[in-house]
Amino acid sequence: MKKPIIFILLFILKWNGIIAQVNVCFNPMFDGSKLVLNKQYFIANSTDSIQIEKFKFYVTNIELFNNDQLLFKEKNSFHLIDAADSTTFNLMINLEPNINFNQIKFNIGIDSITNYAGAMGGDLDPTKGMYWTWQNGYINFKIEGKSNLSIAKSNNFVFHLGGYQNTFSTLQTIQLPVQYLSVFKINMAIDKWINEIDLTKQNHIMSPSKESVILSNKLSTIFSVSK
Amino acid sequence: MKKSIIIIFIVFAIIIIACQKDRDIVAPDPILGNDTPATPYNLVAPIGFPPIKIPATNPMTLEGIALGRKLFYDPILSLDNTQACASCHKQNFSFTDSNTTYSKGITGAIGVRNAMPIMNLAWEKKFFWDGGAATLEDQVIGPIQNPIEMHETLTNVISKLRNHAEYPKLFKRAFGTDSITTMLLMKAVAQFERTIISANSKYDKYVRGELDLSADELAGKELFIDQAKGDCNHCHILGSTFTDFDFKNNGLDSVFKDMGRYNITLNDADKGKFKTPTLRNIELTAPYMHDGRFTTLEQVIDHYNSNFIVTPTTDVNIALLDKLRGRITPIEKTQLIAFLKTLTDYDFITNLNFKKP
Repeated sequence: MKKPIIFILLFILKWNGIIAQVNVCFNPMFDGSKLVLNKQYFIANSTDSIQIEKFKFYVTNIELFNNDQLLFKEKNSFHLIDAADSTTFNLMINLEPNINFNQIKFNIGIDSITNYAGAMGGDLDPTKGMYWTWQNGYINFKIEGKSNLSIAKSNNFVFHLGGYQNTFSTLQTIQLPVQYLSVFKINMAIDKWINEIDLTKQNHIMSPSKESVILSNKLSTIFSVSK
Repeated sequence: MKKSIIIIFIVFAIIIIACQKDRDIVAPDPILGNDTPATPYNLVAPIGFPPIKIPATNPMTLEGIALGRKLFYDPILSLDNTQACASCHKQNFSFTDSNTTYSKGITGAIGVRNAMPIMNLAWEKKFFWDGGAATLEDQVIGPIQNPIEMHETLTNVISKLRNHAEYPKLFKRAFGTDSITTMLLMKAVAQFERTIISANSKYDKYVRGELDLSADELAGKELFIDQAKGDCNHCHILGSTFTDFDFKNNGLDSVFKDMGRYNITLNDADKGKFKTPTLRNIELTAPYMHDGRFTTLEQVIDHYNSNFIVTPTTDVNIALLDKLRGRITPIEKTQLIAFLKTLTDYDFITNLNFKKP
């Protein structure tokens, strides 16, 4: 008889507005508003223009914490966010009751164990254009576009950031304080990251390298949370 | 209390319905025909070979192998439907590209490395000359997307296969689903490639006591293992696989035009290292080395006998021979080559199971 009572209690708790599903909404931004692909922007108070044509990255291993205590870890947690497809922005996370979180933690990119194992399906399917063709391993973060600052052909810039071996690991762990709400936005100030790059000197990265590590490390500062 | 019981009942009902819904998605659609499970296939290692480890995620079936074989020979995998895997991996050349130094892609672009043999891959640990692919499955999608090879996108390949008259049925027979994905394409081709085994050369027959080697061939075998002569055995281990599955700098260059293994590991110690290829069917796989620079076995032996270059990443076993240059006499060279030719497997290059279906 004890077990049904616990069941009922849990059920009532759930009924009383305890969050069972969290909608984590990734929000790529430029100059303080939602990123629009192929729109002409200007680089930090200058007349130098920039257009972003592709913007894709992996969000993986989502965890929720209460201070330092891990409360929830998403299973099979691999999400490809693609600026060209707004349906990929919203991640729905189903929770067990009693998960009173105040921190979210996730990775930008694919962990080394998954990379070593080779290509997978779903969001990890190589047709998503986030898998190197000449070696096994995922591109963690991809941004392509044009800027008059780039001396490459057609003023293009192409950054495919990835790499998982030893000192060439580009995986980024992001931890952010959040309110206990069923919906929150994770904003990404892409312009802030672009401003860190001298496009006159650097216009492409297409394989794991020291440069890829440096640019990946700069990603951690562009995230913020809002309602 | 009654209310609670009703609520519990409803919750359980929802759970049961939810579970059933899941099951429906997983099960193959019965309307679409043949639901017979695929026939498991047990790939057995030939006598004297190490056991074969089949990945748990890709168990072999007769239907999977047959599908992989069809795909291997089908130019549908290239952008303009003109090139198949088999275009550059031809059975009568032990699945290399007919004495061509660099293969030609669909656009006429020329490759930068010599096409490797597709043979005895069931034992290999890494794939491509630089080991860029960690699994046989992963290796499948490299050449398809390489602009200087088949130059196709995976999205297009999958779409072509999905719209094909036969493939959806064949995938269904092999994998229980006609929803074709990259993963299933990779699995099917890898299943076929695992079956491509060469183990019936003259040397194998000699080892099994079925025939004798000639005096020259036997002398060549001794030179092969003699550390002060051929010293081939260190890397091309005598017996079954004829490779150590490792990556070595065998002293071809002092400046590396192609960094080889370094491109993958970014480790300085790997500069100029390439995969140790098997020596099985070596008579059929000319030209030699990752860049196909040697056209004959004589040139290959001349390299190891005298012409090798010692740099910081040159393999230690080659560097140790620095003071023994010219140690192999012309007669010994012919004996060594006579032995290498006993590794040719004529049953392999005519095996009907590997031919175009």
